[in-house]
Amino acid sequence: MSRPLLEVVGLTKSYPISGKGFFRTGRIPVLRGIDLTIAPGEVLGLVGESGSGKSTLGKTVLKLAELDAGTVRFDGRDLASLSKEQLRAVRKDMQIIFQDPYASLDPRKTIRAVLSEALDTHKLHMGERREPRLKELMEMVGLSPEFLGRLPHEFSGGQRQRVGIARAIAVEPRFIVADEAVSALDVSIQAQVLNLLADLRQKTGISLLFISHDLSVVRFISDRVMVLYLGRVMEIGPADDIHFNPAHPYTAALVSAEPGLTPKPGRVRLSGEIPSPANPPSGCVFRTRCPYAMDACAAEVPKLRRVGEARFSACIRDDIPNGAE
Amino acid sequence: MRFPRVSFPRRMILPSLLLVLLIGSMFAAPLLTSADPLQIAISKRLAGPSWAHPFGQDEFGRDRLARVLYGGQVSLSVAFLASFIATAIGTFIGLVGAYFRGPFEFVAMRVSDVVLFFPPILLALLVVTIFGPGVYTMIAVLALLYFPSFSRIAYSETLRVSSLDFVEASRALGTKPRRIVFSTVLPNILGAISVQFSLTAAATITVESGLSFLGLGVVPPAPSWGQMIRGARAMMEQDPLGLFVPCAALCVTIYSINLFCDRLRDVLDPKGLEDGKDSVSPTGKNGAAPAELADGNAAELRGLTLSLSRGKKAEPVDLVRDITLTLPRNQCTALVGESGSGKSLTSLALMGLLPSAIRPSSGHIAIERKSGAPVDLVSLAAKEAEKVRGNDIAMIFQEPMTSLNPVLKVGAQMVETLQAHRKTTSDEARKTCVAALDRVGIPEAERRFESYPHELSGGMRQRVMIAMALLCEPKVLIADEPTTALDVTIQAEIIDLLRDLRANQEAGLSMLFISHNLGIVADIADRVVVMYSGEIVEEGPAGDVLSDPHHPYTKALLESMPSLHDEKHSARGDRLGAIAGTPPLPQARLSGCAFRDRCPIARDACAETHPDLYLAADATRAARCLFAPDAANALKEAVS
Amino acid sequence: MLRFALNKGLAALLMLWVVGTIIFSVLFIIPGDPAELLLTSDGASASQESIENLRKEMGLDKPLITQYLEFLAGAAHFDFGQSLIDHVPVGETIALRLPRTIELILAGLFLGLVTGIPSGTWAGLRPGGSFDRTISAANAVLISVPGFVIGTLFIYLFAQVLHWLPAGGYVSFTSDPLLHLKLLALPAITVGLHLFSIIFRMTRASVLEMRTHDWVRTAVAKGLRRKLVVRRHVVRNALGPIVTVVGLQMGILLGSTVLIEFIYNWPGLSGYLVTAVQQRDYPSVRAIILVVSALFILINFMVEMIYSLLDPRIRL
Repeated sequence: MSRPLLEVVGLTKSYPISGKGFFRTGRIPVLRGIDLTIAPGEVLGLVGESGSGKSTLGKTVLKLAELDAGTVRFDGRDLASLSKEQLRAVRKDMQIIFQDPYASLDPRKTIRAVLSEALDTHKLHMGERREPRLKELMEMVGLSPEFLGRLPHEFSGGQRQRVGIARAIAVEPRFIVADEAVSALDVSIQAQVLNLLADLRQKTGISLLFISHDLSVVRFISDRVMVLYLGRVMEIGPADDIHFNPAHPYTAALVSAEPGLTPKPGRVRLSGEIPSPANPPSGCVFRTRCPYAMDACAAEVPKLRRVGEARFSACIRDDIPNGAE
Repeated sequence: MRFPRVSFPRRMILPSLLLVLLIGSMFAAPLLTSADPLQIAISKRLAGPSWAHPFGQDEFGRDRLARVLYGGQVSLSVAFLASFIATAIGTFIGLVGAYFRGPFEFVAMRVSDVVLFFPPILLALLVVTIFGPGVYTMIAVLALLYFPSFSRIAYSETLRVSSLDFVEASRALGTKPRRIVFSTVLPNILGAISVQFSLTAAATITVESGLSFLGLGVVPPAPSWGQMIRGARAMMEQDPLGLFVPCAALCVTIYSINLFCDRLRDVLDPKGLEDGKDSVSPTGKNGAAPAELADGNAAELRGLTLSLSRGKKAEPVDLVRDITLTLPRNQCTALVGESGSGKSLTSLALMGLLPSAIRPSSGHIAIERKSGAPVDLVSLAAKEAEKVRGNDIAMIFQEPMTSLNPVLKVGAQMVETLQAHRKTTSDEARKTCVAALDRVGIPEAERRFESYPHELSGGMRQRVMIAMALLCEPKVLIADEPTTALDVTIQAEIIDLLRDLRANQEAGLSMLFISHNLGIVADIADRVVVMYSGEIVEEGPAGDVLSDPHHPYTKALLESMPSLHDEKHSARGDRLGAIAGTPPLPQARLSGCAFRDRCPIARDACAETHPDLYLAADATRAARCLFAPDAANALKEAVS
Repeated sequence: MLRFALNKGLAALLMLWVVGTIIFSVLFIIPGDPAELLLTSDGASASQESIENLRKEMGLDKPLITQYLEFLAGAAHFDFGQSLIDHVPVGETIALRLPRTIELILAGLFLGLVTGIPSGTWAGLRPGGSFDRTISAANAVLISVPGFVIGTLFIYLFAQVLHWLPAGGYVSFTSDPLLHLKLLALPAITVGLHLFSIIFRMTRASVLEMRTHDWVRTAVAKGLRRKLVVRRHVVRNALGPIVTVVGLQMGILLGSTVLIEFIYNWPGLSGYLVTAVQQRDYPSVRAIILVVSALFILINFMVEMIYSLLDPRIRL
C-alpha cells in the first residue's frame, strides 16, 4: 500500500473541567491513544455517540484544536513541527465541512465573498480566472451560479450545506473532514448531500474522514469504519464487514439499535447510560453497559486485536455472538 | 465585492430624526440665537421670556436659550467623546482578549473587573478629588467608567461568534488571525457594540450632568445643563422656568438616545410577535365547540386547517390544510414528515397548545376523556382545559434537555403534576411518583426523585418526562419526536420502554407518535400517516405503507434512507434515491399537487387538479396522488 | 454548595484587597508630589509650609511600604485616620452616616421591588397588550429622567407648590418618628422610582424570555393551573436575573445616592463624600470609597449566593 495521506499515532486529548474558582480540579479525557490512517482517496467513517470524542478527533487532526500527546502526520509531515506559515500552506490541502448549516456561513457575507475568501487565502485563481472558477464550484455542488451574489439567509439548509461543501473543495484539498455534515438535514435532503459527496469523491479522488452518529449513513459512504466509545477505538474495519458482521459487542449493539423496517433478530439490548467522560470506567470503557462483561474486563484496557482481514477489535472475548447471526 | 443593499428600517426613522434635530440645533446655536451664553446682565436677572430672550434670563441675567444650546454642545461633546473612547478601548480589549485567549484574556478581563467593582459615581469622584473638576477630567473619568462594559460585551460576543462554525472554517482555510478578527468577527459583534454605545451615551450624559450639578463637573462659567439646574434650584420659587428649561433639554436628549437604542435593539434582534395575548396558557373562546367522536376513536381531527395570522396587512397563511386524522383507541398512530410538514402543529392542536398567532380556521378537534366524553381543547375555556391536559391526554417532547424546569427538583415537578389533578397528601404523592420513576426503568428512583434535571443524562430525563406524562394514567399520549435528540443506543432503549409501557397499561393507551424516522415508526406504530407541506399525503397500516407505499413521496422517503438500503454502497457506484429540490414554504405552495415539482412521475394533470386523499382509497389505505396506488410502479418505470 | 461559597468568599476577599490597594495607590501613581497635587489641583498655589504640614498629617513622609501596611491594618480595624478638615476620626463619621444611606436605599429598594416585579411580570406575560404598552411607554420616559432631576422637580412640586412634604432635612427616628418618615418619603420615592424603572424592565424582559422555554410548555401540557405555571415556571426562573440586576443597582446606588442626599439634605454617607471632595479632604474620600467598595463587593457576594440558591446549576 502506498504511504498514508493521514497518519495519527497515539492521539490523546483532554479538556480542563470548566469551572471557576480556586479549587479547579482535573481534566476530562476526551480521546485516549487513538491510532488511525487514511490512504489517498480513502473514506474513513467515524461513528460514535455523544461523549465518544468523534468531533474532537476531527478538529484535532486538522490542528484546529491542540492535542496533549501523539502525532498527526499529513502527507508524511508532522503537523506539530510546522511553523505557522507552513501550517497555513498545508491548510490548503485539508478542509472541513460542518454540521450546522446555519452556523457555518457568515450571515453577512455573500456566497461569492465566502468562496473568494477561500481562494484569496491561498492566492488561487486570482484576477480574471476567479469568476469562471466560482461558477464551476457552484455547478460542482449543484447550485446555480446565479446564487453567487446571495446571502446565506436566502438559502435552505440543504443549499447552505452545498455552499459549505463548495467552500471546502474550492482550494482543491486532498483531505476533508466532514463533521456530522448531513446530521442536521431532513431525510430527503440528507440523501442529496450524501450522493453529492459520493460523486465528488469519485471525481476528485479526495480522502474523507466522515464523522457521524448514524452508522448506516457512515456505512453507505465509507470504505472503512472506525467505532469510537468514550474516547477509545472499539473496532475498525471495512464498512460492510463492520455493519453485517460486527466483532465488538458495542458495534453489535449499535447495529441492532439502528431502526429498520423489519425487526432485527438477536437484538443486543444495552442497559444504562453512557458514563460521563469525566469519570470513565476502568479497563474496558464499555464494560458497564456490555451484556458480555466479565471481571477481567475491569482489569485492563483491552488492546485492539486483529480479528480478520484488515479488521481490529478491542474486546478480550472471542465468543461474542453478533447481531447479524 | 458586492455588498447587500440594506434599506433603512422604518422603526429607526423617528429616533434618528429626533437625534439629528437635537444635535443639529445645539451645534447650530450661533444661527439660532445671537446671544452670548456668558454675557452677564445683572439688572435683567431672572427676567421672563421676551423676543430677544425666548426662554428668559438666568440669575446672572444671561440668555437662557443660548446657555441651553451651548451647554448642550458641552454635554454632548463630553458624552460622545467619552463614549467613543470607551468603545474603542473596550472593544479592542474584549476582542483581543477573547480571540487570542491566554494572558491577553487574563489581563484584559481582570482590569475590567476591577473597574466594575467600584460604584461608578464614586470612582468619578475619586478622580475628580485628585485632578480637580474640568471638561478633560470629565471625559477621562467617563471613558474609564464605561470601557469595562464594552470590553465585557465585546469579550462575550467574540467568544460566541468565534465558536461559530464559520469562524472555524476561516481558521481551517488558513486565513490570518488578524483578518479573521477584523473582517469576520468584528462585523458580527458590531450590532451589540452599537447598542451598548447608545446606552453608554445616555449614561454618560446623566453622570456628566449629575457631577456638574454637584459642582464637580464642567467648571463655570462654561455652560452645562447640570450646572444650570444647580443654579436654578436656589431660585425655583421665583423662577420655575429656569428649572424646567435645562431639565427638559436634558431629559429629551436622554430620551431620544434611549429610544434610538431600544429601536436599534429591536431591529438587530427581532423578538417576533407581541400581540398582547396571554403568552403562557392558551385560552379558548368562551363557549366550547361541540366535540364529537366516532366510536372506537380516542381522538379525531376532521377537516382541520390551521392558519398563521400575519398582522392586519397580510393574508393569513394555511400551515396545515384540511387534515383528517383519527387515533383509533389503544393503537399507536405515527405521524411522519420532514421539518415544516406541519406534523408538530397538528399534535399541538390536539393538546390545545397552539401558539397564539396560529388558529384553526376550519375543522373539528375532539379527544376522548377518561369519562368517555369528547372535548375540543382548542376552543375549551382555559380553566376546563387545565383539567383535561395531563389528566386525560399527556404529551412528551423532543428536547429532554429543556423540557424540564432546571431550577426545580425532578420530584417537585412530578408531584405538582399529580396534585394538579388529584387530591393526595404529599407522602402519597411522593410514593406514587417514586413508583412511576421505578416503572420507567430509572435506577435508585428514591434518590433520583431528589435530583435536579441537570444531574441526569438526556435519556434519564426523557424517562422522567415519560413517567410524568403517565402519572395520571391518561388515555391518550402524544410523543413529539421523543428520541430525536438522543443517542442511537439510548433511542432504542426509550422506544422499547414506550412499547412495553403501552402493552402493560391496563386501562389502555392510545398514542400519537410523531417522527421523521421511518425505521422507528416501523418499530412502534400500528398505523402511519405521512404529511407533506401541511397535508396528509398517505395513510394506512404501518406494515403495508412502509413495504408498499402508494404515494411517490412516501416511496421517495423510503428510498432516501441509507438505513433501509443495506445493499447499497457509495464505493460500488450506488446512489441513494434522493428527491430533488426542497419542500415548498407554506406561502409558496404549488397549485394542484404540492409535491409535483419534486415528483419524478408528475404530469400536466398534476398541476391542474389538487388530488383527493381518498382518490385511491381501498378499505384501509389512502394516498393523495392521481396515480395511486400504481404510483410506485409508475415511479419504477420513470426511474429506469 | 459549601465549596462554592468558599470559592466565592475567597474571591471576594481577594477583590477587596485589590480594590484597597488600588485606592491606596491612586495618589502615588500620579506623577508629582501627592500633597502638592491635592493642594494645587484647583489651580491655586500652595506654600511650601502648608505642603509640608499636609504631608506630615497624612503620613506621607513615611516610607511607602510602611504607609501601605498601616493603611491596610487600619482599614481592617475600621480606622481610617482623621479628617483633614475637622480632625474627627473618619471611621466615626462613617459609622454615624452609613446607616442613614442604607436606610434610604433599602426604603427605595422596597418601593422598587413591590411595584417593579408585579408590573413587570404582568407586562411580560401579555407583551404588546394595553397594560404593557402604557407602562413600557411611561417607563421609557421615566428612565430618561436622571434621579437628581426627579428630586429637584419633586421638591418644587411637593414642597414649594403643594406644601405636602418638607423639602429636605433629617431628624432621627427616635426623636420624631413621624417627621422622620415624612422626611424620608421624598428621597425614598426618588430612589424607588429609579429602581422601579430598572426592575420593571428587567422583570419584563426576563419573563418574556422565560415564558418561551420548553419547560413552560411542559407545565401547561401537564395541566397545571395558569397561576401555578406563572409562579413556579416563569417568575421563579426569572428571579435569578432580577436578583443580579437588583444587586448591581444596589451597588451603583451606594454611589449615586450622592445626588439624592445632596438634594434633600439627607445627611448620609454620600453627602459627606461630596463635602469631602469639595474640601479635598483626601483621607475621608479614600475611606468612604473603600467602605462603599467593600459593601459593593459584599453585595455581589450575596447576590451570587442567592443566585446559587435560586438556580442549582450554578453550584457546580
